Amino acid sequence: MTAQLWAVFVAAFLASAVEFVEAFTIVLVVGVTINWRSALAGALAATGALAVIVAIFGTAIVRFVPLDALRIVVGVLLVLFGLKWLKKAILRYAGLKAMHDEEAIYEEQIAEMRARGEHHQKRVDPFGVATSFKSVLLEGLEVAFIVITFGSQATANAQGRGIAVATLGALAALALVVIVGALVRAPLQRVPENALKFTVGVMLTTFGTFWGGEGLGIDWWHDDIFLLVLVAFYFAVSLALIAWLRPYAPPKVAPTPEELDNPISSEVAE
Amino acid sequence: MNAIVRGLKATYNFFAGDAILLVAVAVAFLLAFALERAEAPNPLIAVLFVACIVGGLVTTLARELRGRPRQR
Repeated sequence: MTAQLWAVFVAAFLASAVEFVEAFTIVLVVGVTINWRSALAGALAATGALAVIVAIFGTAIVRFVPLDALRIVVGVLLVLFGLKWLKKAILRYAGLKAMHDEEAIYEEQIAEMRARGEHHQKRVDPFGVATSFKSVLLEGLEVAFIVITFGSQATANAQGRGIAVATLGALAALALVVIVGALVRAPLQRVPENALKFTVGVMLTTFGTFWGGEGLGIDWWHDDIFLLVLVAFYFAVSLALIAWLRPYAPPKVAPTPEELDNPISSEVAE
Repeated sequence: MNAIVRGLKATYNFFAGDAILLVAVAVAFLLAFALERAEAPNPLIAVLFVACIVGGLVTTLARELRGRPRQR
């Protein structure tokens, strides 16, 4: 496998890991509150829907879109996704945005479900299936687009197998989250989500810039080697931005006794 | 809000979700395309292209600082 295909695999794996960890929390909530049959039925249906989306769009894009146009479209999408992820990760590292807290989200969702009157039952519950389906589909949709854009570009670069490699990366992440989740049976809060988001943001922006630039006619210095220069550059810029923003973060205050009693209501990360 | 507007809003949020980033990326690609057509030197196009992308990120982060006093 070439270096570029490895990069495609790693980017798809990391991006998928972040999104599937978030989706897993909701599936877990449905499993614990209603039943596992409903939770898994919804998750499997959503995974199937995502596979169909990747198969249809991936094939259509590679077949019908001319190479230069494909590079520009892929470039625009990857840069947009990358900058969006990078912005969020930078704000979190700088202390201007709360870190994503799976445990808090889990507790909040459980409380919401119980407030709705949902309770444990044996038969498949349509609400549970729909909740699980929606969470996996919504979290997975961005992954599907990353797989399609990354994969189609790698395929178009005459290295074949691009979409297959990106899909493998996403499936590997899914398998890992499912296995770890099944063992732990709790929200996967120890996953370094912001570090993953930061890395994926840098990678997507780098590849988007590179492929988009190629589509526009830019000849990058030393071709693929320039990817390393771009990665280093975006990484350095992001670190500089974190250092610039950090002094503006609100000082951390000790939690009040009420917050210690009920940490969930105090702040739930987006 | 009708379904079309809601659909457009959801699409915008999914792909960009940030007007500054969207404009910066659009400017980066359009400017590079125009310079390429005008046969400008390749390094100049590359530098301006990357600068627009980074400029978008810096601008949107700077907006987050509005109304926040420096703490230390």
